[in-house]
Amino acid sequence: MEGDCRFNNGNIRAKKRVAQAKQILDTIGIGGERVQMYNLSSAEGPKFAQYAVEMTHKIEELGPNPLKKAKAKMAA
Amino acid sequence: MIVAEKKPIEEIIEEVEGYKKILIAGCNECVTVCEAGGKKEVQVLASALRMYFMNQGKDVKIDEVTLERQCDHEYLEEIRNIIDQYDAVVSLACGVGVQFMAEKYFSTPVLPGVNTCFMGVTEERGIWTERCQGCGQCILARTAGICPVSRCAKRLLNGPCGGSTKGKCEIDPNVDCAWQLIIDRLKALGRLEQDYEKLTPIKDWSTDRAGGPRKVVREDVRI
Amino acid sequence: MSESKTPSKLEKILSSGHLAVTSECGPPRGSDPETIRKKAEMIKDHVDAINITDNQTSVTRLCSLASCIHLKHMGLEPVLQMVVRDRNRIALQSDILGAASFDIHNILCLSGDHQKFGDNPQAQNVFDIDSMQLIQMVRLMRDEGKFLGGDDIVRPPKMFVGAAANPFADPFEIRVPRLAKKVAAGAEFIQTQCIYNVERFKEWMRGVVDRGLHEKVYILAGVTPFKSAGMAKYMKNRVPGMDVPDELVKRMSGVPKEKQPEEGLKICVETIQQLKEVEGVSGFHIMAIEWEEKVPEIVEASGLYPRPKVDD
Repeated sequence: MEGDCRFNNGNIRAKKRVAQAKQILDTIGIGGERVQMYNLSSAEGPKFAQYAVEMTHKIEELGPNPLKKAKAKMAA
Repeated sequence: MIVAEKKPIEEIIEEVEGYKKILIAGCNECVTVCEAGGKKEVQVLASALRMYFMNQGKDVKIDEVTLERQCDHEYLEEIRNIIDQYDAVVSLACGVGVQFMAEKYFSTPVLPGVNTCFMGVTEERGIWTERCQGCGQCILARTAGICPVSRCAKRLLNGPCGGSTKGKCEIDPNVDCAWQLIIDRLKALGRLEQDYEKLTPIKDWSTDRAGGPRKVVREDVRI
Repeated sequence: MSESKTPSKLEKILSSGHLAVTSECGPPRGSDPETIRKKAEMIKDHVDAINITDNQTSVTRLCSLASCIHLKHMGLEPVLQMVVRDRNRIALQSDILGAASFDIHNILCLSGDHQKFGDNPQAQNVFDIDSMQLIQMVRLMRDEGKFLGGDDIVRPPKMFVGAAANPFADPFEIRVPRLAKKVAAGAEFIQTQCIYNVERFKEWMRGVVDRGLHEKVYILAGVTPFKSAGMAKYMKNRVPGMDVPDELVKRMSGVPKEKQPEEGLKICVETIQQLKEVEGVSGFHIMAIEWEEKVPEIVEASGLYPRPKVDD
């Protein structure tokens, strides 16, 4: 859980970096919701699965990464 | 060191409007230490710009380079062979580096990627604060090692003013009152009584910004 | 103390041994001099000199110099307040000469509140010299008849030089040495920040008297009447360098709203009466901001009326 990182502050730093990345993605029009950080331990298998499903649904709702379309357009 | 801060990406996007081949140039010294323009920041900016332009359907080439410094001829020379491939450079060096690069590569637009702020220290990772304004006539011997020019909001040489409250400056409760710091230090050095009442004379600001752009020469090292 | 060195009426009153009374007027945020004239009319018979503030709190107003000239035209005695925030040494010397050309004989040398408090927080500030150095500079211009640059001044200014003192600002331990420094720089009179904590003021005055400073400089104790309990609270909590004891706030809050102005005036008069007994106090500086009409009442109730006449 947050703060229980084996590497002490590792997951706190990661949280801040993820927040930065989200902000950049928002600014350049890709969308910060496409990156998300969850805290859990390696023993929490079912929770992991739950988060994975949750994120999958969210992404399906948002649709494909806009860069995929843009790349294809450029190649054409 | 010189402390700078990343410009917002929106501003950089506006600056590079219309260019198709851009070089992002970082600097390995001050801006690396204050995490504004080093190799890591170059990578993040380049990546963000690539994604942005692709999303816009614009074909823009973004390359990266990080030089040792951008304030010495030798290091700027290192990109002479590649500079003509680009129609603009975004330099993440401090204002000094941006200008030196612009002087050297006269026909290539060189745009600033950071806002240069002050000469200061790393108090802790992520917090940098001002210490020196380069007045050209250092008086730190008189003020127990604390500079009233850079750290007093009114640059009083015979402070504190009446706005000093609980050791903080009237402009911001998080800003130390420089004169409180000086008094505390004079006390610690056992010099409060003899030094505090010495009247500091009017300063010669001609060696400061007021006197115009400055120059330092050492004839003995010139050939 | 010593004899008068200048034609200043304020100096004459002080050197004759009378308790002096001064007050202040804030200029308008426009160019109509009527405001100044009206305020001055209200108080002119109850004070010896009138301070005009200099873009106080960094809020742009009609300049102190012009306002002082309007007072001179009314035959009154102005005190030109001058901050070092907005003018360099050239402009400061120039304005001092401007004041002297209208025979303005009193100047109060101040640092000035930082511009972030005013209506132009984005402005550059100057601070070419500080308030201590300004005191030295005026004395140089007056006593040696010289500009800072060394040239002679034709018809040097004859100004009585004052400075501010705040016995309540931090750090307390240097507040007496700071006064000593201003005296050494050449200050001849002091107007203090407004006093509510008389005990703490007395502590500062003990230090002042111990060093014999009260014999080298005239100290005018500042007072400001509370208009309301809200004002008392505001000054206690939001104004830096102000010491308002809890019991005064309680006293103001303890009376119904309509009675609060009266209570505030009572406290002010009581404070003056207490301060009269403090050794080293040479007079009073009554700052009744936007309440100038009450100054006559305060002066009379404090037994300071009529004001003494001195020959011009």
